[in-house]
Parts: sequence; structure tokens; C-alpha cells
Amino acid sequence: MNREFSGTIEAAMDAEGWLAAACQELRLPSETAFAISLCVEELFLNAVQHGGASAVTVALNAVADGLCVEFRDDGASFNPIVAPVRRIEQRCDDFEIGGYGTGLLQKFARRMSYRREGGRNLVALEFDAVRASGVLPAT
Amino acid sequence: MSQYTLGFSSMDMQVREGEGGITQVVLDGRFDIAGAQEVDLRFSALAGSAKALVVDMAKVSFLASMGVRTLMLSAKTMMRRSATMAVCAADENVEKVLRSTGFDEIVDLYPDFAAASAALTKPKA
Repeated sequence: MNREFSGTIEAAMDAEGWLAAACQELRLPSETAFAISLCVEELFLNAVQHGGASAVTVALNAVADGLCVEFRDDGASFNPIVAPVRRIEQRCDDFEIGGYGTGLLQKFARRMSYRREGGRNLVALEFDAVRASGVLPAT
Repeated sequence: MSQYTLGFSSMDMQVREGEGGITQVVLDGRFDIAGAQEVDLRFSALAGSAKALVVDMAKVSFLASMGVRTLMLSAKTMMRRSATMAVCAADENVEKVLRSTGFDEIVDLYPDFAAASAALTKPKA
């Protein structure tokens, strides 16, 4: 399943609602649904706020033992695989408020690939859709 | 049990003034973009006035960038006022987000409200 969105914060909220419903329909384990929504929010915000994207496409595809999320946007070139990872390392009050997204992507997706294609960013993220208690039902 | 409720966007925020000057914030819902927008202003006001704040996340089923941003802004405001903040009862996924960003370096995480409350009211040595 896939869906197109405009490059706005309102559309990012729509994308979150759509994804949450899709994950529920696919009966994904809650940790998979959580990871997918988290990564898409991050990529969407980044594309809109920093990349100036006007169009975004999110696609969900089944892969071996998992699920692949393809995120495309027409914003400025941005490769999350090589982007710096930020983390607060010690107690202080001058920490940065933003910029933690890349680290979250790397922590929550089991695999991530990036390519620039036809003036668009294409990030493919892979997630586990199987856990000890059961497997993803056939769809 | 379903992880999601229809309507997705709503997050409820209840504020209770407890014993020992502790303000308890109970969040219920998804701390996504819409959820963060719903509570941002009230969080900011509380961070500017509360003496000690415990954010109870037991009923928060989702947390991502914008929710982390709301929490970090409040934490920064409170630290600069020499006020204290704690987070309690975060589920496994929510806690993973908080630890991945290093939020747990600036705000202590507790298993439940009682533990957070006890830590915040304990006289400093």
C-alpha cells in the first residue's frame, strides 16, 4: 500500500494517522508499528522543515521476515545514513532541542538505504514484522 | 488489546497538584506531531511555574521527534529555573526513544509515580 502527501506539517499528521491505521490493519506487532511511525515522522518533518519538500510518498511493502517502508520526497538532497547522529551525553542545560532524528532512525530501523533518484530522496527502511509470539498474518 | 484508538490525533493531559509541591502531569494518547501540538503550550506554562514536575507516561502509546522536543524544551526551562523534572512509567518503546536521544541524561526516569515522587521530595544532601 502507498499514499501520496503534500509537503506540509498537516500532511505529516495525516500520514501518521494513515500509518497507524495501516499497521493496525496489518496486525503488526506494536513495536514494529511504533518503529515505523517514529521513522516516518522523522523523515517527513525533515523533508518539510529542512528540505522544503512539496510532495512525499510513503509505501509499505512486505519483505522476507519483515516490512519495508519506502519514503520519497522532492526536497533538498539528504542522506540520513551519513548525517551526523546527536545524543545528549551528560547533564547540562545547554543541550540542543532538535537534531536527534538520525539517531532514532538508526536505532529503530533494522536496515536503511538511501539513493537520490530523479531529483528525489528515496529512503528505504526495513523493520522486523515477526516476533517470538507469532508471525505477520498473510495478507 | 488494541494499541491505537480511532481519532489518532488526540492526546489528553491532566495536571494534578500533589503532596510536597509536586505537580503530576498525566498524558494519555499518542505523543506524535498532533499530540505534541495539543500539549505544547500547557507544558511550557507548567515548566515555567512548577517547582517539581513528574510526567506520567504510562498511557502514552507513541513518542517521536515532536514529543521529545516538547519534553526537552520543558526540561531545559526547568533546569534553568533550578526546578526538578522526572518522567515515570514509560513503556519499553517510549523509554527506548528517551534513552536513544540521551534525554535520560538530563531527566531521571522512574518505574512509577511513587518512585519519582519519593526521589523528588527527598531532601538533597
